[in-house]
Amino acid sequence: MIQKRLNTAFFITVGVSLVVFIYLVFLGYDEIRTLRDVVKIVGSVLFPIPILFFTRFIVIEHFLPENSDAYKAKNQRPATLLLVISVIGVLLLMQLLEFLTNKRLEDALILAHLINSTSISSYVFNFLLYNNLKANGILSGVLMALAVHIFFLSA
Amino acid sequence: MNIIKTSKDQTNASKRELLFTFQTIIVTGLLAFTAIAFFFYNDLSVIKGIKVIFAPFLSVVPLLFILSVLRDLRKGFIEGNYTKQEILKFGLITLGITAAFTGITLLLSKINALEILLAGIIAILSTVFFLRSKIKDILGMSIVTGIAEGIIVYMIFLF
Repeated sequence: MIQKRLNTAFFITVGVSLVVFIYLVFLGYDEIRTLRDVVKIVGSVLFPIPILFFTRFIVIEHFLPENSDAYKAKNQRPATLLLVISVIGVLLLMQLLEFLTNKRLEDALILAHLINSTSISSYVFNFLLYNNLKANGILSGVLMALAVHIFFLSA
Repeated sequence: MNIIKTSKDQTNASKRELLFTFQTIIVTGLLAFTAIAFFFYNDLSVIKGIKVIFAPFLSVVPLLFILSVLRDLRKGFIEGNYTKQEILKFGLITLGITAAFTGITLLLSKINALEILLAGIIAILSTVFFLRSKIKDILGMSIVTGIAEGIIVYMIFLF
């Protein structure tokens, strides 16, 4: 297995996820009164991890693209495109869901925690093991959309 | 962090074993967490003190006996990839176990005596350790994953 150096993008994405997590906890601070809420948050943060381990267990032999310059150049455009598409798509989807259910995302913080933890663990997982740039684009897009939605679109 | 630092000389089978071990550690942690959460949330009381001490033995003793008597049931982890059919089959098994364990955790939450809760959780834990040491296979992995996901799904949606 190739030892890849972690680059700045990795740290920034993880950092964004952490900020979102802290902000979500802060946002729901008034509601964290009982043990029940803590259990729910812990559950939603842990949710993706067993699934990821299982996936890794099954697809252990899958190829690992070398992080060469040629691979990067070839995937730059589709990855960026996917990033933009997923940011816009997820933003629209969340607006639509809020509009349809007449509920704000802040009322369902567990869902936000779930999106955050799932996308960041898949991102880390993909980055470390497969380094598939297109998947990286999609996952960062989902995370960015969540961050934008929480920080700017919901007052 | 060990899965990240896997070196070249490690075989796929040993990587799979490592992942399986991680999964069992997660399940153990989750079960302990569930026990503590139920204990505090439901204000469980110890009805008969002496029973708490004996509750674990009920499942631990048979487990130790079985582990010492039985030989390994499966051949161990395979080196190559699984076929599509196998992946589908074990994915479905995982889903089924997840649903089952959501129900079992629901049943556990209905228990209102600490000693019975402890006995139940230790019984599940013994099953996990049995799978860990004797069914070293994708079947064991999918059952353990199902248990973990079942407990988490209950925590998020039903608790």
